Amino acid sequence: MRVREDLGPFRARVTALLVALGVVGFLLVLRLGALQVVEGPRWRRMAESNRIRQVPVLPVRGRIYDRNGLLLAGNEPAFQLLLYPVESRSMERTLTFLARLGIAPLTELRERIRSRGAPDAPRVVAGELTWNQVCAIRAHRSDHPELAVVQGFRRVYPEGPLAAHTLGYVRLPTREDLREDPNLAPGILVGASGVERRQQARLAGVPGRRLVVVDARGRELGTVEEVPAEDGSDLTLSLDLPLQRVAARALGDRAGAVVALDPGTGAVRVLYSAPSFDPNAFARGMSLAEWNRLRNDPLHPLQDRCLRGEYPPGSTIKPFMAITGLVSGVISPVTTVWCSGSVTIGGHTFRCWAHWGHGRVGLERSLEVSCDVFYYTLGQRLGIARIAPGLRLWGFGERTGLDPRAERPGLVGDPEWSRRARGRPWYPGTTISVAIGQGPLLATPIQLARAFAALARGGRLPVPHLVADAAPAGVRDLGLDEASLEPVLEGLRLVVAGPEGTARRLAPLPIVGKTGTAQVVRKREGVDMNTVARRFRHHAWFVGWAPVDHPRLVVAVLVEHGGEGAAAAAPVAGAVLREALGVTGAGPAAGNPG
Amino acid sequence: MGYRFDPWLIFAVLVILGASILNLGYLDTGLVGRQLLWMALGLGVMLVASFLDGVALSRLAFPAWIAAVAALAGVLAFGTVRGGTRGWFALGGFTIQPSEFARLTVVLALAALAARVPGTRLGVKDVALLGAAAGIPVLLVLAEPDFGVAATYLPILGVVLWIGGLPRAAWVILLLCGLVGAAVAWQWVLADYQKERVLTVLDPSRDPYGAGYQVRQSKIAVGSGELVGMGFGRGGQSGLRFLPARHTDFAFAVWAEATGFVGSLALLGAYAVLLWRIARIALGVADRFGLLLSASVFAWIAFEVVVNVGMVVGWLPTTGITLPLFSYGGSSLVSTLAAIGMVQGVWRHRMVNR
Repeated sequence: MRVREDLGPFRARVTALLVALGVVGFLLVLRLGALQVVEGPRWRRMAESNRIRQVPVLPVRGRIYDRNGLLLAGNEPAFQLLLYPVESRSMERTLTFLARLGIAPLTELRERIRSRGAPDAPRVVAGELTWNQVCAIRAHRSDHPELAVVQGFRRVYPEGPLAAHTLGYVRLPTREDLREDPNLAPGILVGASGVERRQQARLAGVPGRRLVVVDARGRELGTVEEVPAEDGSDLTLSLDLPLQRVAARALGDRAGAVVALDPGTGAVRVLYSAPSFDPNAFARGMSLAEWNRLRNDPLHPLQDRCLRGEYPPGSTIKPFMAITGLVSGVISPVTTVWCSGSVTIGGHTFRCWAHWGHGRVGLERSLEVSCDVFYYTLGQRLGIARIAPGLRLWGFGERTGLDPRAERPGLVGDPEWSRRARGRPWYPGTTISVAIGQGPLLATPIQLARAFAALARGGRLPVPHLVADAAPAGVRDLGLDEASLEPVLEGLRLVVAGPEGTARRLAPLPIVGKTGTAQVVRKREGVDMNTVARRFRHHAWFVGWAPVDHPRLVVAVLVEHGGEGAAAAAPVAGAVLREALGVTGAGPAAGNPG
Repeated sequence: MGYRFDPWLIFAVLVILGASILNLGYLDTGLVGRQLLWMALGLGVMLVASFLDGVALSRLAFPAWIAAVAALAGVLAFGTVRGGTRGWFALGGFTIQPSEFARLTVVLALAALAARVPGTRLGVKDVALLGAAAGIPVLLVLAEPDFGVAATYLPILGVVLWIGGLPRAAWVILLLCGLVGAAVAWQWVLADYQKERVLTVLDPSRDPYGAGYQVRQSKIAVGSGELVGMGFGRGGQSGLRFLPARHTDFAFAVWAEATGFVGSLALLGAYAVLLWRIARIALGVADRFGLLLSASVFAWIAFEVVVNVGMVVGWLPTTGITLPLFSYGGSSLVSTLAAIGMVQGVWRHRMVNR
């Protein structure tokens, strides 16, 4: 028990504290009164005329180069127009002003400013202004302080249409893009297709921002905070621009596709689809008329035939049929078939392209002369139950992985597919058509290039890619032995080097390959295909590689409605392979037997 | 004796908390739910603290102080960094700032030490002891470095020295030390941006878009509130939208813009009621420990309110001191409510005979 102490002096000190606080509190209240009541109207005017704006600082988009360091996509400065909706006195008046400047029609402008995210975030009204528009906006700054002209970038593709499908193009973000990635800065460009879309994350960079104080007329008074932009990374593709140019020149004004791969790695060297379009037109902002002309062109220039064109492979499927026959034991390397120019199976007569007949045909010669009767017979013996999985092994009917979102998978038809997709059973005759690459069998040029690459490398299926480190899991080993490949490779060598080879016009180049002529409509007896309308003519194929023993480049050429593979497609492939061998310093054709 | 809370004090606390939620909701930072959770926790802690009497509190003082110093040392070693300050323990989705809680133990320790001193004047040894009890945690907080929180420890030491009783000569020496310390700090310790903040108070037009920017925007916001305010949801033009500290350091500026002079007075009135009730407790208790404890909490809250409001109206430099109970932040809220709870405990047990 303690005696109650006398707290008097201590309490006096507490009272002193209280008084001190009272004085300070009184002063603070006075200060608040002065600020809010006496000077209030002045501060409120200042709030009106001292606005803070967030201005995006755009990063420079990464440039794209080919493997030789040649520029495929770069940037040029351009004026962008930003609109700060919260600062507009009358949105209708602002938009009318912009429409009169010819920036876009009123409805289109309304669409562009439709709200998203923070109300104070600027909207990009135009990605590229003309100098006259810039001047007009500057002149009307006091009427329209809500408009700001900032420096942005325009994407340029110096090669124009040459690699348009592969590179893709860029555009200002759509509302869908912004939904996917709400952090997209206004005014940043996003890839809409091709490499520009797939490598968006690497190319785009990180936008910065500036916080600025502007006066009532939209003039910048000072910068409060600045976060610099991080530019995008440059990108080097495996594409070989000179080779691509040779392919384009060789194809000329015909519609078609040329794909070339390094068979060992799957690195894509050529990816050319014709006709093409000018991606610079997208970057500039295309008019509706221009867009409609592109979209309604009967030759479909926007379509990437390399990845999305599904065609009957025709005779180019024969080596894979032959291997399927060998592996399943249905035929052996010494099996022969008598070709009289046609064969009758199940009551139907199937004709060989050579109506005079090839006589006795073995496996190697069946490829050299592309005998249809040999493969009709083989198809009948194998049956679709063995053919379909045999072809799928080589990647037919599946996307190669170069651009999974854009690619088409092609088609390997079988009875199950027929019931599901067509609602009717599989007829045995269909199997015979599939055996020569017709009927419900479709392949894209990239698929054929990849399958031949696997053939060239002893059954190792690569994943085609344009950016080395972006390739998904590497090469798939199909587990085939040399013995079942050897006769097929010899047959393919004879296609060019043999006395009867369908592509012997390419000799003496050290090329191995296969021609193909895919029917679009059934050919009637005695009709010269060169005289019928273009859309009924055959598709011409050639797929092959060079040099013979150490393949460095696989090329697949498709000429749409080009006629015969040997005449239309093989010379294009020859031109590309000759250039590739010359450029890489390989010696010219070695001795050519026969 | 039944349980009794001081209704005026509770009323003032609830008014401030309600206003803070209104303010936070208006700013739309998505933090309202989080702050409500902290409030529930804080009110619970306040209730529990109010059950402790003076004896229990003074017994708790030294173990709690040691634990707090250990926590401050621990946060220097294992804490997470925010804005260049290593001052937080991350626990699940929440972060805890030990420097806010250590202040509570400093209050207890100083009150307990000063209450043992015989007579009405402190000796040299007493001053040294008190200085160490406050100085060790302050040095640890300075090492984080968190100057704002470290500064809030000083009024507690100052009040305990004032009430404990220092001879006039000691005050003169302290004043001189302060001046020399300020000069030394200006020359060698303070970073350039901190000096700029001080200079802009003296000359607001000095750097309106750099160091003076926050204060300028704060003044524009407060001033635009005029007499009755722009209302919640209509102050959208103000530059406060871009202040990163708009829900912490500058929460009062947002309130002043929305509610005007009337609203500012009402909120400051709630603080006046709160402080008045705490001061009444300090004047009414019968033991020196309770008096010192209540006066320390009084000084703590009063100091933070004055410094924060002084900053918002452009009188004091920006220091990172928040408005207690009103600014967003869990640790500060819980520790302030715990302190108020302890004062309540002192009040409830004042009549117990011992």
